[in-house]
Amino acid sequence: MLFPAPTQTVIKLVNLFKKGLPVRSELITHILSTLKRLTLGFLLGVTSGILFGTMMGLSNLMYYFFNPFISILMPIPGIALAPLFIIWFGFGDPTIITLGALSTFFPIVYSTSAGIRSVDRQMIRAAQTMGANPLQIIYEVYIPWSAAYIFNGVKLGLARGWMTIIAVEFVAASNWGLGYMIWNATEYLQADTVYGGILVMILIFILLEKTLVSGLEQKTVAKWGMITQK
Amino acid sequence: MEKIIEIKNVYKTFTENGKELVAIDHVDLEIPRNQFTVLIGPSGCGKTTLLNMIAGFEKPTSGEILLKNKPVQQPGPDRGYVFQDYALFPWQTVIGNVAFGLRHNGFSKEEAEKKAWEYIDLVNLRGFEDAYPHILSGGMKQRVAIARALAYDPDVLLMDEPFGALDAQTRKHMQKELVNIIQKAKKTVVFVTHSVIEAVYLADLVVVMTARPGKVKGTIKINLPRNRSYVENDYLHYREQILDILEEEVEKGFV
Amino acid sequence: MKGYINLQSLPAPSTLVDKFWQLAVINGSLWKHFFNSLYRLIIGYTLAAVIGTLTGALLAQNETLKTIFEPTFNILMSVPTIAWIPIFLITLGLGDKTVITAIFLSSYFSIMYNTMRGIEMVDKSIVRAARMMGLNRLELFFNVLLPASLVSIINGFRLAIGYAWRALVGGELLAALIVWGLGKMVYQARYFNDAAVMLVGLLVIGFTGFCLDQIFLITIEKNTVEKWGMSQKK
Repeated sequence: MLFPAPTQTVIKLVNLFKKGLPVRSELITHILSTLKRLTLGFLLGVTSGILFGTMMGLSNLMYYFFNPFISILMPIPGIALAPLFIIWFGFGDPTIITLGALSTFFPIVYSTSAGIRSVDRQMIRAAQTMGANPLQIIYEVYIPWSAAYIFNGVKLGLARGWMTIIAVEFVAASNWGLGYMIWNATEYLQADTVYGGILVMILIFILLEKTLVSGLEQKTVAKWGMITQK
Repeated sequence: MEKIIEIKNVYKTFTENGKELVAIDHVDLEIPRNQFTVLIGPSGCGKTTLLNMIAGFEKPTSGEILLKNKPVQQPGPDRGYVFQDYALFPWQTVIGNVAFGLRHNGFSKEEAEKKAWEYIDLVNLRGFEDAYPHILSGGMKQRVAIARALAYDPDVLLMDEPFGALDAQTRKHMQKELVNIIQKAKKTVVFVTHSVIEAVYLADLVVVMTARPGKVKGTIKINLPRNRSYVENDYLHYREQILDILEEEVEKGFV
Repeated sequence: MKGYINLQSLPAPSTLVDKFWQLAVINGSLWKHFFNSLYRLIIGYTLAAVIGTLTGALLAQNETLKTIFEPTFNILMSVPTIAWIPIFLITLGLGDKTVITAIFLSSYFSIMYNTMRGIEMVDKSIVRAARMMGLNRLELFFNVLLPASLVSIINGFRLAIGYAWRALVGGELLAALIVWGLGKMVYQARYFNDAAVMLVGLLVIGFTGFCLDQIFLITIEKNTVEKWGMSQKK
């Protein structure tokens, strides 16, 4: 009962998929609910992360001021923030999406600012001598140069975001979501659903990573021969 | 000879670890127009610092540098700069790199690319315009860098030991190529090196600098025609001359 | 659906200081939470460190073992910690065992992998030089391989402590039978609507996580820049 055979897990997944049809598939509704939260949270986190990271990278003042905050907040797992956010935003989407955004935000800020701070001074000089103004230099030199770093940050941000959203759904979702489904099954010791849900979770993550990030990476950073830094 | 750059009583210090180092100790120099001027000297003599001040990357502590009678304040498109490690933008193709300066000086994307073609031809890189820098050899990268620096027609081309990172064969080849390119493009060049062989091959005028703190020890006009041989008598004579002057200064560096 | 922060629940810094004082000094419960967390961390992490370095070193030097185990490890490595926790809750129960196992698993792979790669990437010429001088397998390991791969190994430790800390906090939060622990402290405060306790707990979590990371970072720097002139400059 605790270690169901793989076949049992698959059967359970199929059942969950069929359950609720023709109106809507229960499994799919759970998945879509989580994906919706991921999309919003991820986009929010990525845009704010790159913007903020760029600013921090360009301004020493901002860097030394904000770096301590980021260093202290980054090691806090998103799920630990959930109880606090539940008090502030209540259960459901606002909390889940915000925490998803937050967990995406941190690795991206960190990598982006590191990337910007690592820009080869000679490239900036080359651009200056060719007549580019400061804004153009940011756009045409700093950002492409940091692209490798930013990609690494985005990869990590996607992973963190996905995991955090599911984890937060454990405690903050009241009806729909992959995390909710898994947690509910955990509380009722429904092992096959638990394993099934986790399997789906991992598969979706692999899919997301392969299509979105790696695809984009191939067209840009890999094409330019710029090694991804760790 | 008409002068295009005037270096007037330039004095430059750096502070490192709290100590003040004098890099350039009152240099007065005139760079002639449309000539190939080489700055040579032992390591640390400040030749690159001097070049960077002409470029506008550094400012003199005192004294001034005039380009066409106007003081140099900042880097700008009236000068072109070729770096020792190329500084090509890895996210742009060859033509993207060469067109970069043009795009930022009033050319539209199409016009810039058209002009860039001329310079890609000038440096003999036709066929590689769509390649990304990381697949090119050192010599090819440097040619892209030269094309990029020349494309927007600066008044002066500044070169900081551009062939230092190349192997001996490629280096010789590039020296010949550079002479051809400059003969076609007709530019004023200020070229920094520590190789006497290179200096005598390339220069119309050689400026020898002392060890730190850098001063001008002497200037030697090279009265050889272009397409020089590395082994003919006159060439060797100049080489000996410069080596003698330099040897003193290099010895100082070992003290 | 409310979308704005309930401002009454945003405690002022002075409130936080008071609350910290209350928890740390007056009733001391903060320390009880803290040390319980630390206890679990140490057990799980030390196990991972020992087993991780041993297995990593073993796999680096034994091709056959590596080919056997590598595929499995690659799969297991890519499973995130949060996925393991529900499984452990069902199979190992709702208490310490689950949390410690989660900590172990999340740190093990990092340490094992970095140890393995570190040893694999030691310059072959150095190994040959040592062999020429007559060192046997064991001497080679302790006198050459280990020092040469030290940076990579410590880096693995550094990554691992980060994962371990996250697994610890998350696990405590979700394991119902756990009462004392920083993760649980934050979770329980919800039932009293006490944002101040939560924030104190979260700040302690963040700060401790940061310090743990710094310990390893400084160790790395001391072993590279100072000792052997191997610069890790960015």
